[in-house]
Amino acid sequence: MKRRSLLQMIALGTAGAKIFGGAAPAFAQDGRSVTIAWPSDVPSWDPNQRFQPDAQPLFKSVFDQPIEQDAELNFVPSLFTEWELADDGLSLSFSIRDDVVFHDGTPMTMEDIRFTFYERVASGENLDIANTWRNLEDIEILSPTSGVFVFNAPTPTAPQWLAFMGSFVVPKAYMEEVGVEGFRERPIGTGPYKIVEYQMNSRIVFERHEEYWGEMPAIQRVTVNIVRDPSARVAAVQSGQAHLTINVPVREVERLGAMPQLEGEINPITRVILLQLRHDMAFDDQNVRLAVHHAINKQALSQAFYGGAAVPLSVVAPPGTPGYVEGFEFPYDLDRARELLAASGFSPDNPVRFTMATTNGHFPSDYDIARALVQMWGEVGIEVTLDVIEYARYFELNRGNQLPEATLYSWDNATGDPEIFTGYLLNPQMPFSAWKAEQPGDRVLELFAEPDYETRIAGYQQVNRDATEMGATMPLLQSVQTLVRDGGLNYRRYGNGWVLPASMSWS
Amino acid sequence: MTATIAKLVMRRFLVAIPTLLFVSILLFVVLRILPVDPAAMSVPPNATLAEIERMREQMGLHLPIPQQYLIWLGDLLRGDFGTSTHFRTGVAGLVATTLPATIELAVMGMILGGGLGLCGGLLIFYFRDTRTEAALDVGTIAVLSLPDFLWALFLMLVFGVVWQILPFTGRLSPDLDRPVVTGFLLLDTLITGQPKTFVNALYHMILPAMALGISAAPPIIRVLRSSLLDTYQEDFIHQARLRGLSERRILLRHGLKNAILPTLSLMGVQFGFLFGGTLLVEIIFSYPGMGNLMVDAIRNTDLPIIQTVGLTYCVMVLLVSITVDSLYLILNPKLRAR
Repeated sequence: MKRRSLLQMIALGTAGAKIFGGAAPAFAQDGRSVTIAWPSDVPSWDPNQRFQPDAQPLFKSVFDQPIEQDAELNFVPSLFTEWELADDGLSLSFSIRDDVVFHDGTPMTMEDIRFTFYERVASGENLDIANTWRNLEDIEILSPTSGVFVFNAPTPTAPQWLAFMGSFVVPKAYMEEVGVEGFRERPIGTGPYKIVEYQMNSRIVFERHEEYWGEMPAIQRVTVNIVRDPSARVAAVQSGQAHLTINVPVREVERLGAMPQLEGEINPITRVILLQLRHDMAFDDQNVRLAVHHAINKQALSQAFYGGAAVPLSVVAPPGTPGYVEGFEFPYDLDRARELLAASGFSPDNPVRFTMATTNGHFPSDYDIARALVQMWGEVGIEVTLDVIEYARYFELNRGNQLPEATLYSWDNATGDPEIFTGYLLNPQMPFSAWKAEQPGDRVLELFAEPDYETRIAGYQQVNRDATEMGATMPLLQSVQTLVRDGGLNYRRYGNGWVLPASMSWS
Repeated sequence: MTATIAKLVMRRFLVAIPTLLFVSILLFVVLRILPVDPAAMSVPPNATLAEIERMREQMGLHLPIPQQYLIWLGDLLRGDFGTSTHFRTGVAGLVATTLPATIELAVMGMILGGGLGLCGGLLIFYFRDTRTEAALDVGTIAVLSLPDFLWALFLMLVFGVVWQILPFTGRLSPDLDRPVVTGFLLLDTLITGQPKTFVNALYHMILPAMALGISAAPPIIRVLRSSLLDTYQEDFIHQARLRGLSERRILLRHGLKNAILPTLSLMGVQFGFLFGGTLLVEIIFSYPGMGNLMVDAIRNTDLPIIQTVGLTYCVMVLLVSITVDSLYLILNPKLRAR
């Protein structure tokens, strides 16, 4: 190569590097804004339409719920200043705030409450909240700030549902003016942030709602980049292109957490990893079910896949939630497992065989846990065939009563209420339940209509214990949420895993 | 010449109709025989079996598959692409929103891949019968053996994490607002007169486009080289040498001009592959295109979206193929004479 050509190339390279380097986007934070790498988008900006646990923090940034949960998951006033469930569970009286405005400046009224929970549902729109509020007969407006939900059947968990998925208040007048499609394109709520830009599956830009009725967020502008690939989320937070991300592999949390500018967290949340069971086929024998349960080393699973942060469970309720049974433990006991199998005529030479369904990638380490379980069971002479299913297929198989003997699943319940754990998972009339036997199904059905809170919770605690002892369900671990953030970024940690931009601030 | 090209385009459009019909039948039938229930996917999780059955009837899923197909095709011809079972909104709107980003990315990928391929082909030919050629040859094989999503992760790691000079999430930096006119971001930034946003968008496009383009380059390199080797056997190359032209001039003015035609055909085919490759690259780089939508649809068994996106890919490949054929005709006088 000639000297002149070489010099030309060097000059060109230097100029190029200057242009690229100098104009490269700045990723540093300015104290007023935050960039988050979030694993999934909202299904649409109609918050009543689709239930999706991971979308709740996004919805909660834009919309408010009648009742709120604090970081310890207590139910606290939000748009509702007070509420009271009637003794028979057939009505719920409530009062609303009078200082709430939507993002377009119009005040929130009782009409908006009635529209969200009653009129939209009654109109026959295909909304997920329609199933939640199917017992709702009407919302009677008593005054500009008070009213009553009227149910046609006892609805003891109405307050919990008013703080749960899909229960976000939308503006009646605006929605009627722009239509549902128009609303999805230009949504407004009463929440702490307005949407200033949305590009599906890519980014959401929030700006602070300056007339917000509640605690004013410290961060003015929040950019949420939808980054589905876990490796890309890790890279984004490591390179400083995002200040916070969630749901990254545990080993990456440990690695990134060791870096000086980053903090890594593995937080237990109100999500339960369990085996959903059938009561028939190879599992019509209680000894077999219990042997299967005794052969599971939950502590080892937690250590291997969640760095020991996932709490082993003996009932389908995480510690700190109302349905948890303090002091009850279902032991890991290989000898007991062998005894139970022998009592039913099984041994390593004559093994019991069944199939277990699992997803691969629906929740962290699901497939790895399934494979570890198969190995654990192999130690006591249980032979298991793994069947990997798509998450979308899970509901279909469960509804059609076509799941195999066991299914590894993760059940999310931000409210922590036992009805939405045990109630849903063991109510034979619901499509979530793989267990279709009369017991403990009948008792669960009774609890669905039990209006007294104390009686209801005590009932669920007993059902939880009995369900484990009879092998109707096999709780494994309290799930964890992994999170990595810039060391200077603070946020409020919620027991149910919500990561809310409104709770963030810079040190 | 214009009449000849118009005739060819017309003929290719006519041939495209049965191709599209065949693809639509294939897509529809394959998706219908999969063990999934679109009705179950379009109702709330706590819906009863009776409600699912009602939904099944509403969606016409109880009808025989040929009848379902004809209804779907009829709707399609009327411009009704159906309603997404997951997003519960019109599929046409979703595809229209995401298609520009994918086209933009694929075109940029093709420009980078085509550029790399052409430069690489010329370089490897220039160094023919030397050790440099052998080394470059090994390099192209190595590049070819890595799929585009691995390139995506590699580029992200090197340029995004280690050197931190290029962004790799989304299309714009957090402090910039996205102009919306046509949906083609680069174009929109120019229309609205935002040069800073244009440059920023271009930066965001470099890594995903490179991930797509790198995989497209090696076949172009190889075809261009072998095409150049063939061309160099022709008499006009010897005559050019006898006229005293420099080797560089012969290569660029005479060799490349004649060898480019097969390469152009290949680039058309490559564009089709590249378009399909956007699926994973869009996921990795958070790119809001049709590939991202397709992955969403597959995850949620959203058949109306899968069908429409599948057909859109087919239409895009056919359009590119027609364009390449037209270019071929423009560049090759022998074909026009036939």
